[in-house]
Amino acid sequence: MKKESIFERLPKRKITRKGFVKLCGIGAGSLILNNSLFKFAFGKDETSTGRIVKKVKALHDLVVVKGEDPYLATVKAIEGIGGMEQFVKKNSVVLIKPNIGWDRSPEYAANTNPDVVGALVDMCFRSGAKRVNIFDNTCNESKRCYENSGLEKIAKEKGANVYFPDDWNIVKAKFNYKSPMEGWPIYRDALECDTFINAPILKHHGLSGLTIAMKNLMGVCSGNRGLMHSDIGTKLAHLTDFIKPDLNVIDAYRVLTRNGPTGGDLADVKDMKTIIAGVDPVLCDAYAAKLMGREPLSISSIDQGVRHNLGSADISRADILTITA
Amino acid sequence: MQKLVLTRRFSQIFFLSLFIYILWFTKNPAAFFKIDPLVSTFSLFSIMMLTLSLIIGRFFCGWICPLGAIIDVCSVRAKNRDLGFRQIKYYVLGAIVVFAFLGIQIKWIFDPLVITARFISLNFIPSFTLVLDKAFIFLITSLDFYTPLYDFYRLLKTSVLGVKMYYFPHSLITLSFFALVCSLALITKRFWCRIICPLGAMYSIVAKFSILERRVDKCVNCMKCKVSCRMSAIKEDMSYRKSECILCLDCIYDCPVKGVKFTWHVKPIKTRAKDSVSRKDFLFLIASSLLLLGFKGREKEAKKKLIRPPGVTGEREFLDKCVRCGNCMRLCPTNGLQPAIFESGLAGIWAPHLVPEIGYCEYNCNLCGNSCPTGAIPKLSLAQKKEQKLGLADINKDICIPWSQNKECIVCEEHCPISTKAIKTYDEIFDGRRIKKPYVDASLCIGCGICQNKCPTRPFRAIKVLP
Repeated sequence: MKKESIFERLPKRKITRKGFVKLCGIGAGSLILNNSLFKFAFGKDETSTGRIVKKVKALHDLVVVKGEDPYLATVKAIEGIGGMEQFVKKNSVVLIKPNIGWDRSPEYAANTNPDVVGALVDMCFRSGAKRVNIFDNTCNESKRCYENSGLEKIAKEKGANVYFPDDWNIVKAKFNYKSPMEGWPIYRDALECDTFINAPILKHHGLSGLTIAMKNLMGVCSGNRGLMHSDIGTKLAHLTDFIKPDLNVIDAYRVLTRNGPTGGDLADVKDMKTIIAGVDPVLCDAYAAKLMGREPLSISSIDQGVRHNLGSADISRADILTITA
Repeated sequence: MQKLVLTRRFSQIFFLSLFIYILWFTKNPAAFFKIDPLVSTFSLFSIMMLTLSLIIGRFFCGWICPLGAIIDVCSVRAKNRDLGFRQIKYYVLGAIVVFAFLGIQIKWIFDPLVITARFISLNFIPSFTLVLDKAFIFLITSLDFYTPLYDFYRLLKTSVLGVKMYYFPHSLITLSFFALVCSLALITKRFWCRIICPLGAMYSIVAKFSILERRVDKCVNCMKCKVSCRMSAIKEDMSYRKSECILCLDCIYDCPVKGVKFTWHVKPIKTRAKDSVSRKDFLFLIASSLLLLGFKGREKEAKKKLIRPPGVTGEREFLDKCVRCGNCMRLCPTNGLQPAIFESGLAGIWAPHLVPEIGYCEYNCNLCGNSCPTGAIPKLSLAQKKEQKLGLADINKDICIPWSQNKECIVCEEHCPISTKAIKTYDEIFDGRRIKKPYVDASLCIGCGICQNKCPTRPFRAIKVLP
């Protein structure tokens, strides 16, 4: 007998009431099953109360290096603060979080200087790091940012893992106190690392005045980040408390003085040839703000950082080592 | 061993894979369209293809055409019967040419390369990557997180998968169209190629004069070749319609007495194929095309309703050049270029437009213009592209957070790529705090849409780009 094709069979089939109800039932059932299967596969919800760190007692509160070569200046700064060995233990996983937010080449000073990051990667590996991760949640299209900032190339040459963060691999933030950041999705890799090195660039920012170390931590957040902008000072302070970066290395080699954070005009870029390193993110930010000629406490994140006891903004009482390389 | 047939299949698979490869991994997918005489008529490669067809015959359809390869796969189990109606494809080609003279472009509906490219760019690649991505995510989350598998996934993300999963909300329509074209092959083998394809018609006209010819030496009248011919090109008396033969070479192996040969024929016999377009038909076509003068009123500039890709000036001119191949939408790094449906009328279906809520126009990028095979989106240098105005941003003060709630925000100002910022702010003291309220400087705004894309208000954005 000849087998009928589906086009010939379908019109012959009669639709009964029972059959119709059955069909609807099967449809609804499979939808529910599908949904729960999806939830089982992808809907894992995890919370975290932040990184647990042992504060390292550095040689100085702050090391400021002025030098022509950003690579050398970074090395000097880390040596001045007591060497990378303090922060990076043998066989540990290190995360370096530079600012790669924008699709701009290095001379526009919108992204962290690639040489600074290169120096950090080198020093991490020399101290015995097993793995150095580098990522940022970019504002422009990720691939273009990574390429045009020049950062991906240098860091990969030195053996670091440069990758794009995955929006599904997140942890929801949980706080012991009432926080506007409650439940915010944070990339898991930012928490599951032994050492967190924050490597921001110092530049102008329309809303917060300046974007430095604390603002740079926004790059480990997923979700609708624009919402963080209202009451940004408190949110950044809570985020800093959540992440607790072990080391902050601020790139002030080239500085964007106006029209930040994107820039795009070389006339707005000023050479300061300075690298700032420190353990306390608030103090680092305060010094950098002073360097830009701003009153530290006028920047809302620094002000809130002080109020939340994350650090001090009192530069006059800090132990600052200044080196000229 | 059916050596020649195997070679043909290999060639089909090779060119189909090459086509997919070019669309998927290269930054210049317009390359393949250079060999398409319908899209780029005067390019060196398409003239070369036509010349080659003049010598060999309609080999493009059987050996190269990616749509032909897909249709062949679809029609493996299909019945084969001669339906006639072959002349329709000449009418289609004629209509395309006549319309083209009037400045109206309708080849986007019929060109096989365009149909395939659109399917691959808007349907195949996004769904393939989505499934692969979800499979990897499932494996990674259900196994341990930090394994070599995760590193491998991250590596894939920079190459095969792409950093961003492409998503086209209206792609079901392109899929249905492609499925329709392919499912026609269930009626009879190569239905599309026999009856509708205008590119096939173009090659048919040329192939009529080709030198390579099918010759039957001895025949036992078994009719095996006639029955199995996928183009039904073979006639009862074992002669054949040269313009229909796509050189699939099946008949060589179908013949039980090995009497079929393809040989070079220096002096072609003058034949008059019966089912091509007659002179009367042709004159009728030309006469009826006079009806098109009714379109004359179209001359005046259509109102621009959508945000078109950078560099596009005239809406009508753009729609008449765009073949809707989907190259620009495939390459747009933010996924912001999307196919239109009826937003700009029936004439604008599937033409690209920017949907800032899905993706904005990347300031440092001119890929869409460089990948356009017809120049509908002009090729611009980066410096030129940065000056193109796509639209103008407009702030809705009823939703905007600083304006309506007196809270800090200005995400739009932060992201604005113009170095002097097209979004300005002025300060207002509220409750002892200084609130920066944004407004748009119309002389600076290029309408890239990043402000709309990043605006945090939901479900409606407080800043919108208007075309």
